[in-house]
Amino acid sequence: MWMVLCSSSDPSGLWVWEGLKQLGIAPVELVLAEWLAYGARWEHRLDDTGTHLKIALPDGRVLCSSRIRGAINRLLAPPAGIDRRVASEDKEYAQAELHAFYQSWLNGLPGVVINRPAATGLCGSWHHPSEWAYRASRAGLPVPVCRQSCSEVPEQFYRSLAPADATTINVIAFRDEVFGAQVPETIVRGCAKLVRDAGAEMLGIELYAGENGGWVFANATPCPDLSPGGPPLLRSLAQALTEGERP
Amino acid sequence: MILVCGIPSETPLRLVTSRLEEMGAPFVMLNQRDFARCGIWFEVDGGQIAGELRIGERIFKLEEFSGVYPRMMDDRFLPELSEEPPDSALRNHCRSFHETLTRWMEIAPALVINRCAPMASNSSKPYQTQLIRAQGFRVPETLVTNVPELVREFRSQHGRVIYKSVSAVRSIVQELNDEDEQRLDHIRWCPTQFQAFVEGTNVRVHTIGNEVFATAVQSEATDYRYAARQSGEPAGLREVTLSDELTERCLRLSRSLGLEFAGIDLKVTPEDEVYCFEVNPCPAFSYYEGNTSQPISAAVARRLASGARA
Repeated sequence: MWMVLCSSSDPSGLWVWEGLKQLGIAPVELVLAEWLAYGARWEHRLDDTGTHLKIALPDGRVLCSSRIRGAINRLLAPPAGIDRRVASEDKEYAQAELHAFYQSWLNGLPGVVINRPAATGLCGSWHHPSEWAYRASRAGLPVPVCRQSCSEVPEQFYRSLAPADATTINVIAFRDEVFGAQVPETIVRGCAKLVRDAGAEMLGIELYAGENGGWVFANATPCPDLSPGGPPLLRSLAQALTEGERP
Repeated sequence: MILVCGIPSETPLRLVTSRLEEMGAPFVMLNQRDFARCGIWFEVDGGQIAGELRIGERIFKLEEFSGVYPRMMDDRFLPELSEEPPDSALRNHCRSFHETLTRWMEIAPALVINRCAPMASNSSKPYQTQLIRAQGFRVPETLVTNVPELVREFRSQHGRVIYKSVSAVRSIVQELNDEDEQRLDHIRWCPTQFQAFVEGTNVRVHTIGNEVFATAVQSEATDYRYAARQSGEPAGLREVTLSDELTERCLRLSRSLGLEFAGIDLKVTPEDEVYCFEVNPCPAFSYYEGNTSQPISAAVARRLASGARA
């Protein structure tokens, strides 16, 4: 069994689930964050021999790690809702507990997980734009100067590095390939290196047309819109899921 | 130049700055509580990072810092902000200053003890347990569940069972007793972590660079940090020497987590099996140093002064 984990408001998650089914991947279960929120029975065990997961969903389905062969993981955060069930002074604690729990069971999933959680995010590493800029530069991508100062409010830091009037494209870097747009080989290599450096399988990378016409790094995300990747991306994902973990 | 950030009177920070002074190593103390007099900017250009830190009238080039030791409290709770409304200019400056400082530390070419991202593995105990296990340590049998019946089965299987936070918030270890079992229905809303109790001697291992300090802790309490409260007796601490193999395994574990400085919690069973419970990425080492005279702060100071990234 394969799983697509996403929220009901994630068109990319629903698109990839439909696409994988059409490519004959079976069974592929759609698991919405909302279904995990209420009434699910959780059993997550760890010992010297491994990690085990069993989720009994309210609709009667049972997801067991002994049957799971891989997953597309697009969970950004644990489902909301715990807030309404705990006292206000316990909300922060309850949210931290749920996030920590999701980080663990997602990490323990067997097979290929695109993306597995990182210490800084449930579906892969989330980095600040300044860190993406630094990493992208080290990966060989052209990067504009990225400046941060305490005279700005922190929310302003979380923005694309592309100028407001620039032409931008969003590509999906999956392992060594780039989907969603034709870009020069040097950009493909840089994107692939950035993916490896981030410890991920997949990143969405925003590029903009620089003054000399070349593509320049603007931003990255571990949870991109997948639909621009079209059938070629779906075929590549299906192949990765069915081939299993890389040596 | 070394940058030390936090509240200067905090014991671990005070110990490290004392050692730096004794060594004659040049350092700058950034007192978080002085944030109103501070400023910072940096830029990433072609993979190079440059910028400035202002503390009062003094301005330092960020690229001149070769070592950084941040031990900062949550800036939202600094006493200087206690009377400030939620969106005041002072509160916003405080947040922006700390955010910019933290973002610089994440990518600075200096040796930083420790950066935030590697420290985050400790925010999920069972997640970190999986990383620990991958480095060859035994880990306690663990159940995270919202099903009371499974907890009762787990307890009847193991006899003694402890429970603790899944996250790093309110992380106090308690033994599950009959009274707790009566209120297990509360876990239905949020999966809770239970672990088989492991008999043995607690050993805290501090790794700093390539140096290792091991301290055995004698206590009847379930969580020895709260020994006086839990068992009525404070814990007894003594220096111990680890085998070469275990020393190397501890160093490998810290490196695998990206931590320059770590506090590794081990338990050595009567059969000499070594369990690892967790790795603390911001160890309050002064408790161990104060009880054993192990020169941990000197090792931190040496590592900072070396300025070499592992």
